Amino acid sequence: MSKSEQSFMGTISRKYAKKQIFKTILGYFLFYASWIILTFWLLYFFEPTFLYAWFLWIMIFSVALPFVVVLVSAIWYYNRYVKMFSFEILDNDIIIQHGVFNRIRATIPYSRIQNINITNGVFDRMYKVFTVKIETAGSSAAAASAKSGIARPEGYIPGLIDPNIIEEKIKERLTKYSAIPSGLEDKIFKPEELAFDNFISYILSKMREGEYLQTTIKEMREKSQISAANLAEKVGVPLQTIKYLEEGRYNPSLALAYRIAEVLHCKIEDLFKLV
Amino acid sequence: MKFKKKIKSRVKDLREKLGLTQQQLADEVGVSRQTIYYLEKGNYNPSLTLSFKLTEIFHTTLDNIFYQEPIIKELLEGKSLADLKEVAEDVNINLEKLASLSEIDDEELTSSFNENLLIKISNNLGINFEDLFEKEVED
Repeated sequence: MSKSEQSFMGTISRKYAKKQIFKTILGYFLFYASWIILTFWLLYFFEPTFLYAWFLWIMIFSVALPFVVVLVSAIWYYNRYVKMFSFEILDNDIIIQHGVFNRIRATIPYSRIQNINITNGVFDRMYKVFTVKIETAGSSAAAASAKSGIARPEGYIPGLIDPNIIEEKIKERLTKYSAIPSGLEDKIFKPEELAFDNFISYILSKMREGEYLQTTIKEMREKSQISAANLAEKVGVPLQTIKYLEEGRYNPSLALAYRIAEVLHCKIEDLFKLV
Repeated sequence: MKFKKKIKSRVKDLREKLGLTQQQLADEVGVSRQTIYYLEKGNYNPSLTLSFKLTEIFHTTLDNIFYQEPIIKELLEGKSLADLKEVAEDVNINLEKLASLSEIDDEELTSSFNENLLIKISNNLGINFEDLFEKEVED
């Protein structure tokens, strides 16, 4: 299979640049509106004669000139941003390349994707574009948002005219690969394959609504006084996997279920129930 | 020391007992026919929800559908006697002890084999030690 068959490359619309430039202009004027109101207020009440003489120059140097500079750099920046932005949907992960000054290449494995949000904000609607946010069970993005309070998911694809294409392409990948189970050549399953299998079953169970795995892992674990971290280490998965399992958000593979049952000295049926 | 295990299934027998074709079973549980095919071949690690659905269709417990088997078992069973003798000679143990690897459990493995010996055996079988065995995690 050639690479072109496997991957899907996408770029974002120039409308995104227009939208951002418009937002910049709007933001600029909102910022200076208060300044101008203050100036007029000073003129009206105190009538400082020197301000009359210099008013035109003050306006030019403090509003008009910076505005031209901001506008020119915004046009340059956002057009360049659109040009440099590309994403690629591969078999195992999504690669997003962006950045005007620093080139960033982010690889998001499907196994870490928590959900895909398509948003269409006020400005988005004006320009008929969509923003796709791919949220991951990531560490860096979550930690950064906790610190700054601004949550930007790891996978951020703005300015899409047809956001469904991403969803479709990912689904295509999933149906293609759910038909051929992972790890056929190897008899031993690697953790990342298990994780991919997890993601498929998670998506499929989401599509077939109503199915839900009830679990007593937490109770059983606490009964035998094993911490979540210790359990994770013993079964050889990340701590996050155990947490999701306990919340009932994960459909584990049978192999993983066996390992957990082994560590907790019980049967799989004692730990999970399909409702 | 623990054996690495793989999941084997009795799906084929159970399916034939019910008189279902692979396609019919696949439709019942909502997967593709290939998934059932690979499941029967024994090279597929199914998701837990799929496993539970199979228990519902076959009216039985998980243990009756799936079982775990040390990877080394299949490996040893696939070798000819002459090959096994050669491996046993190379690692300086008798043939019975080598053959016992396909019978014993994790406890016995820990007590009667040390890590160096197992590494030697794995190498002679032409496979990585890590693919056949794993070390136990301490508390």
